[in-house]
This record gives sequence, C-alpha cells and structure tokens, in this order.
Amino acid sequence: MSGHILKNYDDELRFLKNNVLEMGGEVIEALEKSVKGLLQGDREICAEVVDEDEVIDSHEKKIDELGMSILLRFNPVASDLRQVLSSINICRSLERIGDHAVNIAKRSRKILKGALCEEVRLVDPLFIKAHEIVSASLTAYSDVDERKAHQVIKMDGLVDELHRSLSKNLSSTIAEHGGPNTESLLHILFISRSLERIGDLAVNIAEDIVFITSAEDIRHT
Amino acid sequence: MNDPSTILESQDVAAPTSGTIIDIDDLSFSYDLGKTNTLRNISLDIPAGKVTAFIGPSGCGKSTLIRCLNRMNDLVDTAKVTSGKISIMGQDIHAPDVDAIELRKHVGMVFQKYNPFPKSIYENVAYGLRVQGIKKKSILDQAVEESLQKSALWSEVKDRLNTSALGLSGGQQQRLCIARTIAVKPQIVLMDEPCSALDPIATARIEELIAELQQDFTIVIVTHNMQQATRVSDRTAFFYLGELVEYDDTQAIFGNPSKKQTEDYVSGRFG
Repeated sequence: MSGHILKNYDDELRFLKNNVLEMGGEVIEALEKSVKGLLQGDREICAEVVDEDEVIDSHEKKIDELGMSILLRFNPVASDLRQVLSSINICRSLERIGDHAVNIAKRSRKILKGALCEEVRLVDPLFIKAHEIVSASLTAYSDVDERKAHQVIKMDGLVDELHRSLSKNLSSTIAEHGGPNTESLLHILFISRSLERIGDLAVNIAEDIVFITSAEDIRHT
Repeated sequence: MNDPSTILESQDVAAPTSGTIIDIDDLSFSYDLGKTNTLRNISLDIPAGKVTAFIGPSGCGKSTLIRCLNRMNDLVDTAKVTSGKISIMGQDIHAPDVDAIELRKHVGMVFQKYNPFPKSIYENVAYGLRVQGIKKKSILDQAVEESLQKSALWSEVKDRLNTSALGLSGGQQQRLCIARTIAVKPQIVLMDEPCSALDPIATARIEELIAELQQDFTIVIVTHNMQQATRVSDRTAFFYLGELVEYDDTQAIFGNPSKKQTEDYVSGRFG
C-alpha cells in the first residue's frame, strides 16, 4: 500500500509497529530465560526475569501512549485504525506473556531451592512449542500475514495437547509417589499451565493480525 | 408512477421515512453541452430519512451531483444531463412538465458560505413562505418559530427577530439559512459543505442539528471533512474523477472499504 500524504503519519505507524516488535523480542527473551533458569538450575537467570519485567511493563505504557497519540493526531480509519487498535491489543497480550514468564521464573526459583527434581525436564517440549508459537505470532505481525496468523491458531492445539499430557503425567506422579517432591511437582504443574496460557495469548495476537488484514473479528468463534 | 403535478408540485407531500427517496440511474452530466462528461454513469439510491454524505477530492464531481438533485445546474447555460436520470419520490426531475422552482420547494439547499438576505431574521425565515403567497401573520409567525426551533436558533434570536440577520455570528447565520430552507417544509435538504466556513464550535452545533433534522428530512451532505462524514452520516458515497467509486454504510466506508481507491482516500494516501 502506498504511503500517506503526511509522511510523519507513516513514520509514527512504523514506530508503533517497531515498538511492538521490540517488546515482543523482550518477552521472548524473558520466556527463554525463565525456562533456561529452571532447566540449567540457574536461580540468577530466574531473578533477572523478575527484575526485568518492569522493562516490559514500561514498553506497554509507551505503546499505549504512541497509539493514543496517533489516534489523536491523525484520526486513522480503515486498515490504519485496525493496525493501531490491534497493536495496542497485541502489546496487552505480550505484557501478559511477560507476566507468565515471571510466574515461571518465580516458581523455578522455588523448585531450585528444594531437592533435585528430575521432572523439570518434562517441561522442555512444551516450552519449545510455546516459544515457537509466540515467535510465529510476532513474525505474522511483522509480515502482516494472515496465512501465518491462521497457522499460529492451528499450532495452539499441540501446545494444549502437550500441557494435558504433562498435567496428567505430573498428577499421577504426585498421586503415586508424593513425598518431598510434591511441592516442586505442583510448581511444574503451574509452569505447564503458564506455558499453555502463553499459547492462548499467541492465538489472541494471531486473531488481532487477522483483524488487521481482513477486518474480520474471529475471536470467540 | 405518480403524476408530477401531484408529487413535486404539491405543497403537502409527506416526507417518506423509509425506502429510496432519490434514485440516480446511470447519470452522466456535462458542463459543456456534452463535449466532456463531468459525471459519468452514476447510479445510487439515497434512502429516505437518512443522512447521506458525498466525499471525494476536489473536482471529483460531488458538488456537481448534489446540484443536479435540485437542478441548480440549470442555471449554467451549457450544463446538460447527457444520459440517465434522477427520480425523486418516483418522479423523473428532468421530465418536461417538472418545474425547477417547484422542485426546489421539495429539495432545499444550504450552501458552503452562509448567505442570509439583507433583511431581518424574521423575514429571512418567512421569505420562502411569502414567495409561496402565504400572507397570514399567524401562519408566518408559527412557521418562523417552528423553523428557528428546529434549527436550534430560537432561544438565541427570539428577542430580536426584527433585527438584521447580518448581525448574527457566522454559525448563527448558517443555522438561519437552514431555518430558511426548512421553513417551506422540503422533503430533502441538500448541504454543500455547510461547515467549511465555520469554527469548530459552530461546526459541532450544525452537526448536532443535522442529527435532529434527520427525524424530519432526508439529508444529503457534501463534505471535505471525513471525520464529519463519519459522525453525521448513515451512508457515504466516494467519488473520484467524476465516477462513483464506492457507496456503502458509512461504517463500512471508513472501517473496511471494499475498494482500494476508497481506502487510500479515506486513510489520507491521496487527495
């Protein structure tokens, strides 16, 4: 699509998009660090995730400000309006993914305080898929690609399946063995739940991308 | 089809509240006796009791089209409808037995630059009724008050009806012109950029007034202000280079237009 008559309108829209992508990069890094801390037994990395969450939060505020400024100054309509509204929505989803990364990091620290718990390894396949789906949603946003957004929505099925399987596995371990690892196993269960929710939030991002490209609201369908 | 003498020459035609009131069918129009067409093959149905906005860049033909609706272009010697027709309430307005002056009683017009007569406020509003031969003071008084009430001007001028209209502010003068237009009870009110010479407050009052007038009249408005079109209109037609590009609900035109040209225009990519 050709540029606007007002060049700074294009600049502001681009700036907004770059900020969302930058925030997405920080969220993915937080997610990577939270699970890395758990799998590598590194409590310092987990602490970094908790400390750095305020950077993600401040990014959210900045994107809100940028979006409001564009709405006020340029009165966007049609796909421009959808881009601004969806970008604000997407940053909301990213902020929540960041919060889940913090939850994972906090629970990881608690797990690492206790006795060695072999079951932490079980989180890895689910983490890989959750990481993949968030990355794919950001690529779809960057490319404004509806086809890629629909692929993200399909990917969530596998994330849900891995979470169900892991939950079942952990529940039977707790029921059968219990013992001193019970608390850690419960933390892993919640980490699994966070990763599953991250998949849902990536789906929300994908739905926003479909709204940008086709003006179709596919939420709750 | 209704006989023209009963539709466009009757003083007491009830304004339709639903269905199509203006039917523009394959209209082409020329300002130079047909050498070049300023409007080309325009077809659109304007719904009764709604506000329809015409938008498009300068020179796209939107003002030409609105002036076709009450045959204002008849005043241009070389102007000519080269094909198609316009029907209002089922009547072809270019039919030989339709009188343009009679037509304009049913299709009133408010212009870009407010143009009150150099007369009193009262006489401005009563003017159209006097032209129609109404002399009885009680009828004129009632019509003046009713029109000024509907134009949201009554409370501001009721104590100075006999003072010059030229002493009013710009926004008040434009509302007075609206009162003058609706005093003769037209079914349709055409507005050609009615707020372009007004400040934001006066513009807001006119926009508010349009929403109220919609209850009694069908309104067609030409505007360069796209935010205004989104605020006041139900339907929007986008014109470019003399052609109708897209015509849809205003929400669709500004939310998700189906034509790329429309999207590029409404989002400020050309103009």
